[in-house]
Amino acid sequence: MSLAVDLAGIKLKNPLLAASGTFGYGVEYEKILDLSKLGGVVSKGLYMKPRDGAPTPRIAETPSGLLNAIGLQGVGIHAFVRDVVPRMRRHDTALLVNVCGDTVDEYAEVARVCDDTPGIAGLEINISCPNVKQGGMAFGGDPKMTHAVVAAVRGATKLPVIPKLSPNVADITVFARAAEEAGADALSCINTLLGLAIDVEARRPRLGFGTGGLSGPAIRPIAVRMAWQAARAVKIPIVGIGGISTAEDALEFLIAGCRAVQVGTANFVDPTLYERVLDGIASYLERHSLSDIGQVVGTLEYPGQAKDADKGGEG
Amino acid sequence: MPANRTSSLVAREGLGGPYFLLTFRHPETAREARPGQFVMIKAGVSAEPPLRRPFSILEASPERETFSLFVKAIGPGSKALTALSVGDEAQCLGPLGRPFDPPPDGAEALMIGGGYGVAPFSFLGGELLRDGRKARLFYGGRTTADLPLLVRLRAQGLDVVPATEDGTTGVSGRVTVPLEAHLDKGEGPSRLYACGPEAMMHAVARIAARRGLEAQVSLDPWMGCGVGTCLGCVVKVQRAEDPRWKYKCACTEGPVFDASCVVWPGESVSHASTARKGDREAKPSEARP
Repeated sequence: MSLAVDLAGIKLKNPLLAASGTFGYGVEYEKILDLSKLGGVVSKGLYMKPRDGAPTPRIAETPSGLLNAIGLQGVGIHAFVRDVVPRMRRHDTALLVNVCGDTVDEYAEVARVCDDTPGIAGLEINISCPNVKQGGMAFGGDPKMTHAVVAAVRGATKLPVIPKLSPNVADITVFARAAEEAGADALSCINTLLGLAIDVEARRPRLGFGTGGLSGPAIRPIAVRMAWQAARAVKIPIVGIGGISTAEDALEFLIAGCRAVQVGTANFVDPTLYERVLDGIASYLERHSLSDIGQVVGTLEYPGQAKDADKGGEG
Repeated sequence: MPANRTSSLVAREGLGGPYFLLTFRHPETAREARPGQFVMIKAGVSAEPPLRRPFSILEASPERETFSLFVKAIGPGSKALTALSVGDEAQCLGPLGRPFDPPPDGAEALMIGGGYGVAPFSFLGGELLRDGRKARLFYGGRTTADLPLLVRLRAQGLDVVPATEDGTTGVSGRVTVPLEAHLDKGEGPSRLYACGPEAMMHAVARIAARRGLEAQVSLDPWMGCGVGTCLGCVVKVQRAEDPRWKYKCACTEGPVFDASCVVWPGESVSHASTARKGDREAKPSEARP
């Protein structure tokens, strides 16, 4: 039985990646779990320079969810390349960098640094962080800007380019197509949903930034729907993200058409869940007499649609 | 090295009202924990509440492979934990964080615990007593019912000075009242250790700065992961050598911080940086970023 996945040229031993912002730079977990169990790790978002991030408080628990406004605190790409990449190369797992920028040029600049760094398998392009004033969702909320950022990064690197799309849009397929046209190799769907939690006693937002991004099981049906829509709209592979903590959760995304998935908030609840989820996926394959994880991808029987719907969609 | 594992509850003791003593089996935490360290723990595996919670370790027993927590059931996480029955399971990662530093040779440890913030001082006080060090605990709460560990801490051999705001036990007033009275006696060198409500720790930090004493505080912000990946629990810290403050993770670079380095809410700079400018105290009136 094979759980291996080829994600736009990135060889993953299994379809489970740790999502950006929920797994640090990977090395934080090297003493707590065996990182080689993971298909891959996506780094915390990285700009050219270190950043302080958002004011505190930064996280608030909500029903089956987590609202956060960390604001992309980070060490910057140079410190990451110097201090983290050599340590992560000792682990048999794919390392992807989540690329951020205040400007289109900065995204390309970070990508160029990564391009020159052995040990980085691919780039996830963060055009969907809701917790920064520039860049982030501002680029992911306008298809022209999405196209511009992805094209600039595409021109700056030979590594696979995987834009991470925002769910805070009316029609995610517009953005999926814009990214594909600009040269994206795959798409990550989705980032957090913009939310607001209020401390009623103080009559103030519970987060220092004000609004935040909602993640966790609370958003899973929305994420599955959007990943499914994106998968039908483009030919490039989709990485599903949103509230995954069990094998069943992961399988929902795979069946909806995702080639791989990322585990996010659940890392905080149990960072050692990967083995359990993989065991669950393997036993599912066995139960359904399947030998390869790829045989599950895009097998959703949706009412009124053919099983192997035209992957190109109407485009 | 912290270990992530399922931990069964081996003892549960109600201490009156919302207070409980919970003992879990967790060999790594039992063996390696230092006073001031914490665990991230969550009852069972249900989706609600989503996150684990950080709790200071009250005591650890390497022989029995257990550690204990002093828990006040106030929110969904602590309520779920205190609702466990003996034999039930929790998910636990520990031991985590920076422990307290022992006091310098010859100095007395003056521990200030407010409410459930007293938890780490059973562990710290016990170790200091075993090592033949001088240790005194100032234990404050609103009323007698908020000091459910008093008898137990005294039975441990600790010199405990209680204070209640309503005067029903010990000194009447905030816990800093007996602390200042003790310091006024000038009984020799001391180092302060504080854990409790933020306002209390801030008050202890001011007392320490005014009197030129070292103080360590154990901070308790909301935490997501406990290992420095979510960056949710950061606090503003400015060490004397830093030109400006930096966000530091309370989970990995704390929860214990030197009080003089903490930039408290309402202050724009820490005592460390004001001291460097030859000022003993921060001036809240000037504290605008």
